[in-house]
Amino acid sequence: MILARRIVHTALTATALALLACSGEPRRTGPTNDLLIVGYDREPDTMNRYATHILEDIESCVVEGLVTNDERMNIIPVLAAELPTLANGGVRMLGDGGMDVIWKLRPGVRWHDGVPHTSADVKFTVDAINKGDWKPESVDGFDRISSVDTPDSLTAVVHYTEVYAPYLLQFVRGTLPKHLLDGKDLNTAHDYDRAPLGTGPYRVKEWRTGEHILLERVPDHWRGAEYPRIKQILFRFVTNTTTRINQLKAGEVDMVALVAWDKVRELREVSGLRLNHVVGNGYEHVTLNQRHFPAFADVSVRQALAHAVDRELIVRTVLDGEVEVVNGPVQPLSAAYEPNVRAYPFDTARANALLTQAGWARGADGVRTKDGTRLTFTLITQTGFAIRENVSQALQQAFSAVGVEMKVRLMDGTTISGTWFSGEFDAMLHWWQMGADPELTLFFAGDRAPPAGRNINYVNDAALTELLYRSDRTVDATARNALLREAQRRIAELAPEIVLYNTAKIDAVPATLRNFTGNPTNAGPFWNVHLWEIGTP
Amino acid sequence: MTTPGTVVKRAPRVAAIFLGALILAAIFAPVLAPYATDALDLANRRAAPSLAHWFGTDELGRDVLTRVLFGARVSLAIGLLSALVSVAFGVALGAMAGYSGRRMDDLIMRGTDAVLAIPRLPLLMLAAAVLQPGVPALILLVAAVGWMETARVARAEVRAIAARDFVQGARAIGATPLRVVLRHVLPGVIPAASVATTLAIGRGILLESTMSFFGVGVQPPAASWGNMLYQAQTTMTSEPWLAIFPGLCILTTVLACNAVGDVLSPFDPERTA
Amino acid sequence: MIRLILRRLAQAVPLLLVISAIVFALLHAVPGGPLAAYLENPNVRPADIARLREAYGLDRPLLVQYGSWLAAFLRGDWGMSFADGRPVLTRMLERLPATVELAGVAGLVALLLAVAVAVGSAVNRTFDRAASAVAVAGISLPVFWFGLLLQLLLAHRLGWLPSSGRTTFGDSSLGDRLSHLVLPVLVLAFVQAAAWSRYLRRALREVLARPFIRAARTRGIAERDILLRHALPNALGPFVTVVLLDAAMLASGAVVTESVFAWPGIGSLFTEALGKRDYPVLMAFLMLGAAAVVLLNLLADVVVAAIDPRLRESA
Repeated sequence: MILARRIVHTALTATALALLACSGEPRRTGPTNDLLIVGYDREPDTMNRYATHILEDIESCVVEGLVTNDERMNIIPVLAAELPTLANGGVRMLGDGGMDVIWKLRPGVRWHDGVPHTSADVKFTVDAINKGDWKPESVDGFDRISSVDTPDSLTAVVHYTEVYAPYLLQFVRGTLPKHLLDGKDLNTAHDYDRAPLGTGPYRVKEWRTGEHILLERVPDHWRGAEYPRIKQILFRFVTNTTTRINQLKAGEVDMVALVAWDKVRELREVSGLRLNHVVGNGYEHVTLNQRHFPAFADVSVRQALAHAVDRELIVRTVLDGEVEVVNGPVQPLSAAYEPNVRAYPFDTARANALLTQAGWARGADGVRTKDGTRLTFTLITQTGFAIRENVSQALQQAFSAVGVEMKVRLMDGTTISGTWFSGEFDAMLHWWQMGADPELTLFFAGDRAPPAGRNINYVNDAALTELLYRSDRTVDATARNALLREAQRRIAELAPEIVLYNTAKIDAVPATLRNFTGNPTNAGPFWNVHLWEIGTP
Repeated sequence: MTTPGTVVKRAPRVAAIFLGALILAAIFAPVLAPYATDALDLANRRAAPSLAHWFGTDELGRDVLTRVLFGARVSLAIGLLSALVSVAFGVALGAMAGYSGRRMDDLIMRGTDAVLAIPRLPLLMLAAAVLQPGVPALILLVAAVGWMETARVARAEVRAIAARDFVQGARAIGATPLRVVLRHVLPGVIPAASVATTLAIGRGILLESTMSFFGVGVQPPAASWGNMLYQAQTTMTSEPWLAIFPGLCILTTVLACNAVGDVLSPFDPERTA
Repeated sequence: MIRLILRRLAQAVPLLLVISAIVFALLHAVPGGPLAAYLENPNVRPADIARLREAYGLDRPLLVQYGSWLAAFLRGDWGMSFADGRPVLTRMLERLPATVELAGVAGLVALLLAVAVAVGSAVNRTFDRAASAVAVAGISLPVFWFGLLLQLLLAHRLGWLPSSGRTTFGDSSLGDRLSHLVLPVLVLAFVQAAAWSRYLRRALREVLARPFIRAARTRGIAERDILLRHALPNALGPFVTVVLLDAAMLASGAVVTESVFAWPGIGSLFTEALGKRDYPVLMAFLMLGAAAVVLLNLLADVVVAAIDPRLRESA
């Protein structure tokens, strides 16, 4: 009986171990103004903001843009003295269809090595990107810039060959220091990539690959000697989510940015932590690929599917109520947001009726068919996100209730990106993180299917496309937003995708951390790091 | 008092009974399971073990016992079938290498070396990323990285047997090589092969769980013990039952396989001592 | 002996060549490709993707890509990482020490444990049973589950040890380094020691059953001497080859342990690189792994030949 005993014994030990693991109290000592430790999910590839393709949280502490987005998604000047607009003469429309943007730089800003930040750096940045021998991540907008003039050291006049509505965000990633990088091959400027010269409140003190990046405060920062308040910030790389959350609980790290929604529950009870909640500028939805799965080309089928989903229930349960049900791609924070769009409340009867009217009749096994075709499709979604896996199963059940069969296929991040780009899928559960600029053309214009854009619903509505392109050519914000509102109403009528809920950006920070606001955009929660300060509890 | 002798007699029986019961439970999962496999109950999520749900419920309110039972089908299928495939392939190759001429032997064994030299887990992760496999492909993948040791063992056994008198005798009276191998040599390999099989079952189940840990194992909504464990790792503090039950299933099953393998092993010290 | 080494090395070259072709083909068959990560970024336009494809040379035929990789590799140029543009060799060398440290310490601990347990098992029957039970459990555990349980218990609940990472920031003492090693080494060494102790125990038993041991016993040699002077050295021979063959596996098995404990080694570099489809890094990792296995195999053969002169001729 030794073996049986062995098994029982081992089982008991393991159970005891596990149960023991679930009791007891974590201890934590808070951070101080000397050091703040951040548990960060992934190591940057490079600190060059133009070349990285992950979030620029760490970079933005070092290298500042001419502008940034604040916690309410307003664009605010940083290295620019003011925002150039038509009204203040900062933007000039030209007769040949082009436009000039005149950037006035903030005086008194110096690079960390003491050299003044000037319009020559702006010009150098544009030239370096447009020269074509470098591999920056994106040249969006830059490809429409013909040249930059520098009438004086604090004025840069950027000439565009055509109207470019999102011009304000052109230099959100900052500028490259001309005096350091001029004449260098930016592809191999590893010293800069590992510890960039910036104007921000921090500089890189140490980057230990695979372990951490340590930032230290810059003396004599241009905002004043009292900024920043926290001496050092340590970004520890902890890829495994469970490990990262456990480190936060144990006080081995002080904060974690962008906590997954299903982890929030676990952190609620942890003393000394504050969960900062901002509504993000993105939305989770089910893309319905009309080209690959022809049944989706029928608007009643799309509307029926939208009615079939009890979004309120999913949000309340699977998402622990951390996000809200929304009805369109533009979120309330945006000035272009349109609240009065057609919504698709949970209504199984209506969904059934719409499908039956559209000619889809239930077969013997309960799945609808039309002309011998079954209403069966495959939903792809990214692996590694428990929430998405769970939501897709809830959707599966919801659709099956109205006679639609949905299969689920999980793919890793890189595979799924390649797949949607090729258009070889029926439906996809995912989100778009929208830019701070409310452009919708890329996602909904009829001619913007990949590779020309991200219209992977393959929706092609002439009226909508016309509206969108008109909005692109309108620089005046009020007029442009009016066009975008109309576009949102049209999109809701068409129901090209099933819009589910918005995204929440939840950051777990020390309760004693002052002036932390979070940020709904890709500017990230570190956008105002110079103001952060550890107070007394 | 149990003497070592009775232990030897009973240990494989207990482990074998356990494994047999498990296989039966897996086969009759639809009958035994208290709930439907994919029945979501969003109102009753993360319920602790109770009389209604012996093993509790998961993130979507599904019954964990039901999922463990259905997961057993997938995990055991991967373990059993991958073991059979890898051992059959390994024995066939090993026998061929051991019985054929030098050149064939060299070719096969160098090929075996090549596969053996590529780091196993990274290779598997890579292959799984390429194929995005379903369960049948996963079985082949797990088998594909597990046949090499068996091939080596089988080759050594075959060479040893082939050198013996009775095989030489059979050859001398003009039996065809195939007949010699099938009638005289392979039966001698069976003990080693059966040990390799039992051990490979356990290894296959473990490997599937490791692949699940990296997100390339059995894909949800299908349940396997490995992916249940993977999904549970984030809630080990708040809902430990989600991690404990599938974890224990893996542990006990692999344990039983290894125990049976130990006792079957011709080198088992408790038998030779 | 020298001839044996030379012959084996000569055999290793085509072997590694075949492996490189297999791995290269496999890598490029993975869907997605290194540029797919860019697609999620709303600022990256499709034109950017085409531009980058060309810049990285990914638009050339696969055979041409393999040829140029191989030519460069043979010259000792391992290429540049797609992820950060730095030389692959630099990236590997940055991570290698951490893995060598972890796998080395774990291997050593496992070795000592295995020998101690095997010898203990030969001496005491009760200890043998207990140790066998623990060992069989050791080889039956899902490693990541075991690691997470230990982490939860020893680091988070009891607070005895740091949960992950290699160092505590601002603490460069040896004690800190060691305390970070404990958990990952415990996991890695336990699993490995379980396997090794089972092997060595079996080998030891077999040797103890041989006639020369019985002869030694009848000559009245003390049990202790029989075990340590006669049986153990005989059992260690084949055991050494097993250990050497497993050593490379130990390092590649660290992929799991490094992931659970956020250990900044070469295994976590692989996981990262696989996620990003960073071909040059993945190629280098797999080739390095294969080369290590081949070399350790060779070393094992040499050791066996050195221990057992009879094999020198036939090898």
